[in-house]
Amino acid sequence: MTDATSVRRDDRGLSETTAVLISAVVGILVALGSLVVVQGFGVFYETLNRVGPTVDAGGVGTEWVAGASEPMLALVIKLLHVADLLMGLFILLMLFVHWGAFRRIAERMQPAADRPTATDGWTTPSEDDANRGDAG
Amino acid sequence: MTNLDHGKFTRTTTLFHSLLALDVFFLFFTGYSAMFNDELWWLLALFGGAQGVLAVHRIAGLVLIALTVFWVVMLVIGPGRQGNLREALPDFQADTAAFKQDLAFVFGQAEERHPNARQFAGHSADDVPLLSYIGKGVVWIFTVELVLLMVSGLLIWSKTGLMDVMATKAAAIAFVAFHGILGVIMLMGVMFHIFEHGFHPAFYPVELKAFIPKRDIPHSESEPAADESVTGIERLTLRPSWTWASSLAGVATVIGIVSVLVASIVDSGYPIPSELTVGGGATSLLLTVGVNVGILVLFVGLLLSVYGNVLRARYEAQRHGQTEPTAGHDTTDD
Repeated sequence: MTDATSVRRDDRGLSETTAVLISAVVGILVALGSLVVVQGFGVFYETLNRVGPTVDAGGVGTEWVAGASEPMLALVIKLLHVADLLMGLFILLMLFVHWGAFRRIAERMQPAADRPTATDGWTTPSEDDANRGDAG
Repeated sequence: MTNLDHGKFTRTTTLFHSLLALDVFFLFFTGYSAMFNDELWWLLALFGGAQGVLAVHRIAGLVLIALTVFWVVMLVIGPGRQGNLREALPDFQADTAAFKQDLAFVFGQAEERHPNARQFAGHSADDVPLLSYIGKGVVWIFTVELVLLMVSGLLIWSKTGLMDVMATKAAAIAFVAFHGILGVIMLMGVMFHIFEHGFHPAFYPVELKAFIPKRDIPHSESEPAADESVTGIERLTLRPSWTWASSLAGVATVIGIVSVLVASIVDSGYPIPSELTVGGGATSLLLTVGVNVGILVLFVGLLLSVYGNVLRARYEAQRHGQTEPTAGHDTTDD
């Protein structure tokens, strides 16, 4: 059985509450520590470089006079677009697989009580299934 | 009340999931209203305009670091968590078989979904692993994505600082572009995740096992009847609105995924484009509508996450005042 009840049976000494508290403190400390590190970069100068994106011909970052002009870095950006495209197509495939699977699963369930007729290719269960009764 | 099925997660996990979701939604709304500001001008204005939106994004980014480190430490020191980590490792043979069987199931070539794909366990709870093959994919892809986004996010926290490190302004620009383009995979993945767990016919409108801890869900040990399927799903009643709602959500999710993908390529990392585009990025009406539909899907996800917690609170209150627990498979109305 691969369920989370095993969590409760574990007796290595540390309780769930203690583990949560320790993890929370470490998480907050690391987040604040990383803030201290990047603050050292001089974050306040950045506001000088920004204009409102809703102003005419303006946008976040339009103060930059050129785009990413380093060939190596531009190549990495193109590679990331390719990665996005491949993952996007894969995610779409998974979406369609699930959409199709959900429709098949729905066909097996009891039809909604106030929707007795099929209007869009809906397959209603057989008379036997209907007579078996509603679990709810 | 929606259908409960068997619980899978502890209270820590369910609360962590809700907090992480809330934070990631804020990161998406702020980050992509900056990146797609031509299409999402209203969202950008909603989050405080050019200055405010990135301030909120940074705060949410720090919260993400805290949440992620929290979870990593929990996996190491939390009781039983290392076992769960092993459960999340891919089983290439079984997971590939689950993917193939899902394809076969859609085309009517298989009678059931593979246990490693099954979302509704029903009578087959003993065969269903902690995470489906999709769940494992989500965990690992999001892990890699989140690490890269956090590292690149910290690097571009201050562009002037990054210029000191990277020597040129162009390099700093490239890192901003990396950050936005990398997140598109997560953006698309979360849209799919919302559809997968919000519109399964047995769970619609929300899969409650993500919100109600396992210990609070009663378990029925009944065996399936001879003429029932493996899961016994035919005993459940479909909600009347599922057909149109799932179709609408499916179409919106497809439009959203395609649009943010196209917009990210058209804008190529705007606000810092690979070539300077005076006046901003894309101005296509179709793309504007599509990207907004994608954001709408995210808002649905946020709403479902809140709704799941409302149902959890209501369920806990009902259970508290009830002496005899109900069966785990029963469908009860709101």
